[in-house]
Amino acid sequence: MREVGIVGVGHSKFGKMSGGTFTDMLSMAAVQALDDAGVKTGMGHGVDQVFVSTMGAGILNKQSGIASALVDYLNLRPAMAETIENGPASGASAIKLGYMAIASGMCDCVLVVGGEMMRVVSGWEGTDFVATMLHPEAEYNYGLTLPAFAGLFTKLCMEKYGVTETDLSIVAVKNHENATHNPVAHIHVVPNLYCITEDEDAPIMNPYVAEPLRMYHCCPVSDGSAAVLLCAMDKADKFKKKPIKIAGIGQATDTHAVAEREVPTDLLAVRLAAQMAYKMSGLTPQDIDVAELHDAFQILEIVESEEVGFFKRGEGHIAARNGETKIGGKIPINTSGGLKAKGHPLGATGISQVVEIVKQLRGEATGRQVEGAKAGLAVNFGGFGNNVVATILTKEEA
Amino acid sequence: MEQEMYAYKCTTCGELHHPKHYVCKKCGNREFEKVPLAGEVTLVTYTKVYNLPEGYMKPYIGFGIAKFENGLVVSGQLEVENPEIGMKLMATVGVVKEGIGKDYYGFIFK
Amino acid sequence: MMIVDKMEQSLRPVETPMVTYPPKYITMATGEKLVIRQIAREEVPHILEAVKPLMTVEADFYDIVASRIYSELLGYYRYRVKDEYCLIGTIDGVLVGIVNGRLIDDKVGMSYHTMTLKQGLRIGAQLFAAKMEYHLDFLNQEEVLIVAESPNGFKRWMIEYELESRPETWHELGGVPTFVLTKALWEKHKATKLGGRRPVKEELLKTAEHPILPATYAQIPGYKR
Repeated sequence: MREVGIVGVGHSKFGKMSGGTFTDMLSMAAVQALDDAGVKTGMGHGVDQVFVSTMGAGILNKQSGIASALVDYLNLRPAMAETIENGPASGASAIKLGYMAIASGMCDCVLVVGGEMMRVVSGWEGTDFVATMLHPEAEYNYGLTLPAFAGLFTKLCMEKYGVTETDLSIVAVKNHENATHNPVAHIHVVPNLYCITEDEDAPIMNPYVAEPLRMYHCCPVSDGSAAVLLCAMDKADKFKKKPIKIAGIGQATDTHAVAEREVPTDLLAVRLAAQMAYKMSGLTPQDIDVAELHDAFQILEIVESEEVGFFKRGEGHIAARNGETKIGGKIPINTSGGLKAKGHPLGATGISQVVEIVKQLRGEATGRQVEGAKAGLAVNFGGFGNNVVATILTKEEA
Repeated sequence: MEQEMYAYKCTTCGELHHPKHYVCKKCGNREFEKVPLAGEVTLVTYTKVYNLPEGYMKPYIGFGIAKFENGLVVSGQLEVENPEIGMKLMATVGVVKEGIGKDYYGFIFK
Repeated sequence: MMIVDKMEQSLRPVETPMVTYPPKYITMATGEKLVIRQIAREEVPHILEAVKPLMTVEADFYDIVASRIYSELLGYYRYRVKDEYCLIGTIDGVLVGIVNGRLIDDKVGMSYHTMTLKQGLRIGAQLFAAKMEYHLDFLNQEEVLIVAESPNGFKRWMIEYELESRPETWHELGGVPTFVLTKALWEKHKATKLGGRRPVKEELLKTAEHPILPATYAQIPGYKR
C-alpha cells in the first residue's frame, strides 16, 4: 500500500456563520487547504477526489449531494466526489476513505472537507437532530438525547471510579485556556474554576444539563468547516510544505443501543480503534506527544484518555487534576481547545482534530505548541460510542 | 388498553434480544419469537435531563438504564423521587412520547 | 422642561408608591460580576440608546422585543404608563441586559420584556429571575402575568418555571395566551433559578452608576457605536 500524507490544511472560525451558504462555508476551509499546499485553484489543480463529511446538510440545511455541489462550486470538475456520513465521526471517516483512495493506487491527491451549519435551527431542534443517531425504538422515541446518555455514563463513572463534578470542570477550564491561543476556536472566554464549582452562584450559573453533567461540561453548538489535502507521499514534493504522514488508522463499532454495551463504563470502540491504529503505525501510547480526544462532554476526554492507553482505567481524572494533560504536561490533550471551547460542527470536527495535530507536528501551533511533537493521535467519537475512528499522524525525519 | 413490551428470543439457541436484531447475536439464526418483557428490574444508572429535544414541553425528564432478571438491559424513562444505583423497580409500560396521530410506548421504571 | 399644567396632570397615571429594588450582584462563570439595579426615570433616554440598534434585527425576535421595550420605556419616561419599573444589568460598568414590567394592582404584576445585550452567560435568565423577585418578594404581590414572543423565551419561562396557563386572561402585549407565575410556583423554583448576593459593595455599585452603552453587538455583525 502506498504511503499517504497531509500537505495542506484549512479551518474556518467556528461559531456562528453570518450569511453565506453551506457550500460557501465548506469552500472557505477547502480553499485555505489548497492555498496552504500551494495548489492553484484553476486548471491543472490535480485533485482527483473530493470527500465531504457532514451529518446535517441533508436534514438541517436541506441539501443532499453536497460533495457534488462543492466540486462544481470550486471548479474542481471532473474530480470524483462523495458525501460521507458517520455522525460526529464523519470527519475522521472521510479522511480514512481519502487515505484508502490513495493507498489503493486509485488516486494521487484527495481533498477532504467537513462542515456543519447547525445554528440555523433552535437549540432543541438541534438536540433533536443530533438524537437521530440513537436507536429509533429503544432510545430516540423515549426523548433520550446524547447529553442524556452522557449523564447516565458520567453517573456510572462517578460511582465506579470517583470522578467528581470538579474534575469535569478542571478539564473544561483547561480546554478553554488552550482555546485562547487558537484563533479559529468558537469560544475565547475562559470560565473561572471557582466560579463554576464552589461559588455561591455556581449552581445557578453552571446549571445541570443532564445530571450530573452541568452546562460547562458540555460543548457548544457551532457552525464551521475544516479541510485537509491528502497526497501520496511519493508525489508530495510538488507541494509547499513537507507532508505529515498518516501513519495509522483504526476504527471499531459497538452496540447501537447503549444499554446493550458489555461493560457500561467502558468505551470499547475507542479502545479497539486506538489499538488498530497503534498496530498499523507501529507505535505505542507512550510514543504519542499530543492528542485531540473527542470531548463533546468532558467525561469523554477523561475516559478516552484511559481507553487509548495514556492512563490506567479509573485514573484519567486524577491525571487531569494533576495537570498532566495540560500543555507542558505529560501528554497534552486538546491543545486546540477541544470540542468544548473550539466548538463542534459535527461534520467538521474529525477533520478539525487532524488539522490541529498537523499544526502541532509542523510546529505551527503558535501559543499552544507542544515542543518537539513528532507523533499525534486524534480520536473521533461517533454516536454515543458505537463507531469510533482513531488516526495517528507522524512527522517524517528529513 | 395495556401496551406490552417484548423481547425477541432466538428460535435456535434461545438468546434474548431487546431491542430487535435481524440476526441472533449468539448463533446467527434469523428467526425469533416474541416473549413479553416485564417485571422487576435493577437500576444500573440514572440521570435527570433538563435540555429536552423538540416536542417535549416539560422542564425535565428522568431517565434510567435498568437490568431485568433475565439479563436484558434496557433504557427507559424514570419516575422515581430519589433514585439510587442498585435499587429494585418495576418496569411499567406507558406513553413516552406523544406523536402526531400515534403515541409511542416504552418502559417507565417506577 | 415639561410644563405640568392641569391638562398634563390629567393625562398622567396615579403612581402607587413602590419600594426600590435593592441592588444585588451575581458572580458569572467567568468571574465577572453582574450588578442588577433599578433605573430612575431620568435614565430612560440613555438606556433607549442601547435599545435602538436592535430594533431592526430580525434574528431571535430582537426587533419586536427591542421595539416594544423602546415604547414601554418611553411610556414610563413620559408618564404615560402606570407603575412601570425597569431593572438593568451591568458588567464592568457596561450595560448587558434590560428587563421591565408594571403593576396591574397591588396583587397582580405584568411582566413586559427581557432583553439581553450580551449573550452566552445566562444574563437574561438572571434578569428575568430578578424581575420576578421584585414582584413577588419585594413588592409582595401574589402573581405575575407573563407572555413570550420567542420560542427561547417560552422554553426558559413557561417550561422551566412550569408556569400556569391562563388563556382567559389577556396580557397587554397583543392578547396572546397568558401564563402566570404564582407565589407557589416561585417558591418551588426560586432556589434553583434565583442567584445573587446583597449588599453590593460601594465600589462595585459605583460601576453601575453611569451604564456604558455597548460599542458593539454580537447580534449585529459589523456594527460600531
